[in-house]
Amino acid sequence: MVKVKVFATLIKLTGRKILEVPAGSVGELLEKLYSTYPGFEEELKRGFMILVNGRNIEHLQGLQTPLREEDIVSIFPPAGGG
Amino acid sequence: MSIFILAISMYGNWGKFLRVNLSNGEVKVEEYNEELAKKWLGSRGLAIYFLLKEMDPTVDPLSPENKLIITPGPLSGTSAPTGGRYNVITKSPHTGFITMANSGGYFGAELKFAGYDGIIVEGKAEKPVYIYIKDENVEIRDASHLWGKLVSETEEAIRKEIGSKKLRIALIGPAGENLVKFAAVMNDGHRAAGRAGVGAVMGSKNLKAIAVEGSKTVPIADKQKFMLTIREKINKLRNDPVAGGGLPKYGTAVLVNIINENGLYPTRNFQTGVYEHAYEQSGEAMAAKYLIRNQPCYACPIGCGRVNKLPTIGVTEGPEYESTWALGANLGINDLASIIEANHLCDELGLDTISTGGTLATAMELYEKGFIKDEDLGEAPPFRWGNTEVLHYYITKLAKREGFGDKLAEGGYRLAESYGHPEYSMSVKKLELPAYDPRGAEGHGLGYATNNRGGCHIKNYMISPEILGYPYKMDPHDISDDKVKMLIIFQDLSALIDAAGLCLFTTFGLGADDYRDMLNAALGWDFSTEDYLKIGERIWNAERLFNLKAGLDPAKDDTLPKRFLEEPMPEGPNKGYVVRLKEMLPRYYALRGWTEDGKVPPEKAKELGIEEFV
Ligand code: SF4
Repeated sequence: MVKVKVFATLIKLTGRKILEVPAGSVGELLEKLYSTYPGFEEELKRGFMILVNGRNIEHLQGLQTPLREEDIVSIFPPAGGG
Repeated sequence: MSIFILAISMYGNWGKFLRVNLSNGEVKVEEYNEELAKKWLGSRGLAIYFLLKEMDPTVDPLSPENKLIITPGPLSGTSAPTGGRYNVITKSPHTGFITMANSGGYFGAELKFAGYDGIIVEGKAEKPVYIYIKDENVEIRDASHLWGKLVSETEEAIRKEIGSKKLRIALIGPAGENLVKFAAVMNDGHRAAGRAGVGAVMGSKNLKAIAVEGSKTVPIADKQKFMLTIREKINKLRNDPVAGGGLPKYGTAVLVNIINENGLYPTRNFQTGVYEHAYEQSGEAMAAKYLIRNQPCYACPIGCGRVNKLPTIGVTEGPEYESTWALGANLGINDLASIIEANHLCDELGLDTISTGGTLATAMELYEKGFIKDEDLGEAPPFRWGNTEVLHYYITKLAKREGFGDKLAEGGYRLAESYGHPEYSMSVKKLELPAYDPRGAEGHGLGYATNNRGGCHIKNYMISPEILGYPYKMDPHDISDDKVKMLIIFQDLSALIDAAGLCLFTTFGLGADDYRDMLNAALGWDFSTEDYLKIGERIWNAERLFNLKAGLDPAKDDTLPKRFLEEPMPEGPNKGYVVRLKEMLPRYYALRGWTEDGKVPPEKAKELGIEEFV
């Protein structure tokens, strides 16, 4: 099981801040979340930030980034500030 | 025909500054020509020009010889999105270098409606005064009865006295009067030109407030083109997922979780970059518990400001991300209600929240390490991590310079230095650092080290590319030339946006070409994007020249606290990293066209047309 932390508008869609999902890669994880939670895909359509153990998947292997038991994935819809 | 053209000599800018000498009470309107505007654009640009031209950069910042320039930009007061910003530029008593504190709200736009591009305040009044401006009518009025009053009390009293609903007021609280090194200039209640002690400079001049109302319309060169351009840019911002989504919904504190999950949310005076209670003080938590609505500044389609309601203090504005962190995680404090109350108190006393929190965090680490002892504090609350009692007690004391508060009022660096351990102050050029541990974003760290006003994030916001992915994602631990070049672009672009009178948050959604379009339509110029960025570069270099003349020693001052250079991040995704500043700094100097020792050489100054200031 991978531990998934969701933030901002995603919390309303999942009803929880932390989920446990079995998945072998970030891509597979997203597919599962999209099919389980209506609106999740729509919310990430214009961009997202996905971290695996705090590292942005852009600097890992993108959606192909493999996931292992105990990994922590953080998912954010587009957001910024200053 | 030509008579009509002559009637308005400039667009966007009025071509007029108000010069107020508080020593002799003289008030003058001074005009400048469009050539100067073409070189410096306005606001932050013109201000550094005036300071270099008229003032010796070695003056004591709290003496009558220092000048305080309060100035909106050419797009302030127009309908350009976020066109309500103004800058306060002066020599900082906190750093000893230039500072350009920026604020939103409505004051900057109103000053433009009164017909001025800014006010140059000189000298020192014999007793407390405030300046009242109604178009051409400018009065210096007695403010003895306002001295000592909180920000909201002062605003209310001035409003009553003048009896105008239109009035917009920039003012100081007790902290500015008491020359607290990091006192802010406040406006519209909770908006702050916060950083590096601009409020102390105002206080040193015995100037409590500037109240302004105006009836003019800022002249626009091509009204139709301007309206079309503006509409397009507003749409861009509305459609941007950050500027039109995350920011209005959760405010800037939406960053709390993002920065924490990325492992650079400074915790307990930057001892680590991961805070176990971050969620409890996030924008999400604030929206769920206390938010009643958001609050935009003048002409802003984004509206990141928060209006919160608490049972204890009622309705208040803020806190923003920085304040939430400074008064929260950096002190090991997780209770959001206490943070909101402390933020409210800082606004009322007229304090910069980042430096207030940074100074308290330094005190807490000095206490933890045993340098500040219980007997130094007497009956006062101990500086223990997470002790919420510290907030109200010491914030009030430092604003009044009472008891231990007098030491705190000097800022974290001087406090730590007085105990023989300046390394516990997380500051650059004595200015307390904001809410990003540079060990998790090394380009941002180079930004801290080279920022003209010291430890500031907003004038070189590398968090955008390094963490948020704007304009595109860069690896936070990449320290190649590309990273250094990006930092330089961010610094120059920020200088340009400040000089234009817009909010830096428009960069979520707008790029350099968009600013060019708005400026060209408003000012009637035909500048390229490169021409505008050149103005930004000119401003940055001119400020650097000011600092060098003020005594900046690059070898000593362009640096970071030892913690970031020598102590690897202890945990989280950035575990093991320090900032490789030594590897980046020489390349930064070279790419800026500076000498190896960080000076602006005559050739560079000549290229930028500022050789007269070398
Ligand atoms: S984005 Fe926020 S700070 Fe900037 S002008 Fe709008 S409301 Fe003010």
